[in-house]
Amino acid sequence: MLAFIQQLRKAEIPVSVRYVLEFYDGIRKGLAPDLDRLFLLARLVFVKKVEHYDTFERVFAAFFLGKESWQMPEWEEAFASKPFEEWLREQVARGAISLDELRTFEIEELLKRFWETLLKQDSAHHGGHTWVGTGGRSPFGHSGSAGGGVRVYGKGLHGTAQKVIDRRNYINYSGKSRLAGSNVGQALASLKNLKRAGPETELEIDETIHRTAKNGGEIELVFAKEFRDRLKLVVLLDNGGYSMEPYLELVKYVFGKMSDKFKDLKYYYFHNCLYGTVYEDMARTVAVPWETLIARGADTHLIIIGDANMAPSELMAANGALYFYTTDRRPGVEWLKQLRAAFPASVWLNPIPKEYWSAESLTITQIGRIFPMEDLTLAGIKNAVQILGRERV
Amino acid sequence: MKFEGTENYYLGPELGEIVNISIAMEKPLLLMGEAGTGKTRLAFEIARAFGVSMEEARCKSTFKGEELCYIYDAVLRLNDSRFGSGESGRNVNNIWDYLRFGPIGRAFLAEDKRVLLLDEIDKTDSDTQDNLLDVLEDGSFIIREINHKVSAKLKPIIIITSNAKRELSDPFLRRCFCHYIPFPGPEEISIIVRLHYPDISEQLLDACLTEFYRLREGGFEKPPATAELLDWIGALRSSGEDGGPGGGSSLRHVGTLLKRSQDLLKFKGIKQKTQWR
Repeated sequence: MLAFIQQLRKAEIPVSVRYVLEFYDGIRKGLAPDLDRLFLLARLVFVKKVEHYDTFERVFAAFFLGKESWQMPEWEEAFASKPFEEWLREQVARGAISLDELRTFEIEELLKRFWETLLKQDSAHHGGHTWVGTGGRSPFGHSGSAGGGVRVYGKGLHGTAQKVIDRRNYINYSGKSRLAGSNVGQALASLKNLKRAGPETELEIDETIHRTAKNGGEIELVFAKEFRDRLKLVVLLDNGGYSMEPYLELVKYVFGKMSDKFKDLKYYYFHNCLYGTVYEDMARTVAVPWETLIARGADTHLIIIGDANMAPSELMAANGALYFYTTDRRPGVEWLKQLRAAFPASVWLNPIPKEYWSAESLTITQIGRIFPMEDLTLAGIKNAVQILGRERV
Repeated sequence: MKFEGTENYYLGPELGEIVNISIAMEKPLLLMGEAGTGKTRLAFEIARAFGVSMEEARCKSTFKGEELCYIYDAVLRLNDSRFGSGESGRNVNNIWDYLRFGPIGRAFLAEDKRVLLLDEIDKTDSDTQDNLLDVLEDGSFIIREINHKVSAKLKPIIIITSNAKRELSDPFLRRCFCHYIPFPGPEEISIIVRLHYPDISEQLLDACLTEFYRLREGGFEKPPATAELLDWIGALRSSGEDGGPGGGSSLRHVGTLLKRSQDLLKFKGIKQKTQWR
């Protein structure tokens, strides 16, 4: 059982000693007489967030239902695998994906489609080398010889665990999923923690008694108004790079929904890196003086959303700016440092997933040293909120 | 004690087992999921199935946690000290006459085991949740005014619901058993509909469910949930069901399914486009 718990930890599900004790306590109480109940007990004890359901189910499936030890599925591996190749060939042959599209598709988009087919496939075909089905040799079937793959609608045990796991009901809620229309709600839920709130009025008992006594017993009620302080937030959006494009509207929608929670919410735009000016409009024509922005730092939270991906010279060299009319002589990195110093509560959100940061560009790491950086996934947003919350401004 | 659902509440086998595990482990059960998945209902059904009484706390954003345990009515006491307590039988010198217990307090003090429901805990601050942590864990709280500890005679069965409007604090989650109720699939939802409308025709049910799931996937801001579906079917039936739900833009009583004006506009907008094609 210890190995199972280790697997959970490896899959980045937080496990505390308390959970382990509870888990054994549950087993001792006879709450897990069969595998289905063991599954439920383990999930109740170990998994506290819906983001982790999917991972948990896969770890459980691999540990109790599969034979091989479980590993995070490697996209590259799946991409290079025969099943994927076959699937792709079939799609092209059927005309579902044209060769032109193939060139323009992101790898992730292709893999997403591949998985969708995998998840949707419920007409069983048994035997054979195809990747869904039973009794075959591909890693994706079940009872197959390859082992360690993903189980698909197999009939092994009689109930819940199997059913639940194979359907992967919770994949959309996974913390690794990127911000999209469907999980905006969850992102909002995280962001609401930014708001500070307290009861508006409160009877001040001591003062009331004091005044009442002074009043010769005539009651005088004293209410203290608790100050409800609402947050000020500046969002800086990089609307230059195409990597940002899919997210612009979404980000504005998310924060727009929250606007009543903020005392003051402002969007400014910039391109690639900051050189002393941000703009009020998307076309970047109405400039906001740097001093105005900096002056707000003391009482305002700052979120910068951008890919932080630029030519190193843009960041490091004086006169590095991409546009010749930005006649600035200080390198971008200086501006960023100044901005960071002015806004103690600031965080950088990057639409590029964390795993790719180091591979994608040098400048991401460099900027990451100036600003705390998170990616635009649900988990990333949650972390960002925590980072902002640490600084009381 | 084993919970197996009641005659007019559909309980999935998984959820039933989860309830039983948390009762056996004496842990608060936190139910998450979108509105209309029967989270609150579950607590009532547990109480009914076991024939125990229920203490219910509907959370508000202004709650600080303590009022769920007890309220010290200082104003009343002041009033009594000034004007006399009259016929009420209250004694100004006895603070206990001015303490009123909230749902948690009542559940702890009761001689019998009770079901304690904390509904929509996500409406409260994270501070409130933290205040409640130890209370729920130890089954006790302290009345600050007199430093008196109230301990639960029998630990109640605690059911907490959350619409996930706001993230709950990590320590709070750690003390609970958490279960996310996914939205029911077509088979489950037809069982639920049949519990409410036992005589519904197969044809109408299928037609309604098809439309319903199509709307749910339509990317609306507030997708229709179980409650809306039931309302809708009710509306269709009361206006004569021969026409069926209607399709496309002539979907009847669409207002019972989509509540936000933006969603309704979007719904109509889509329909117009398809007509032009």
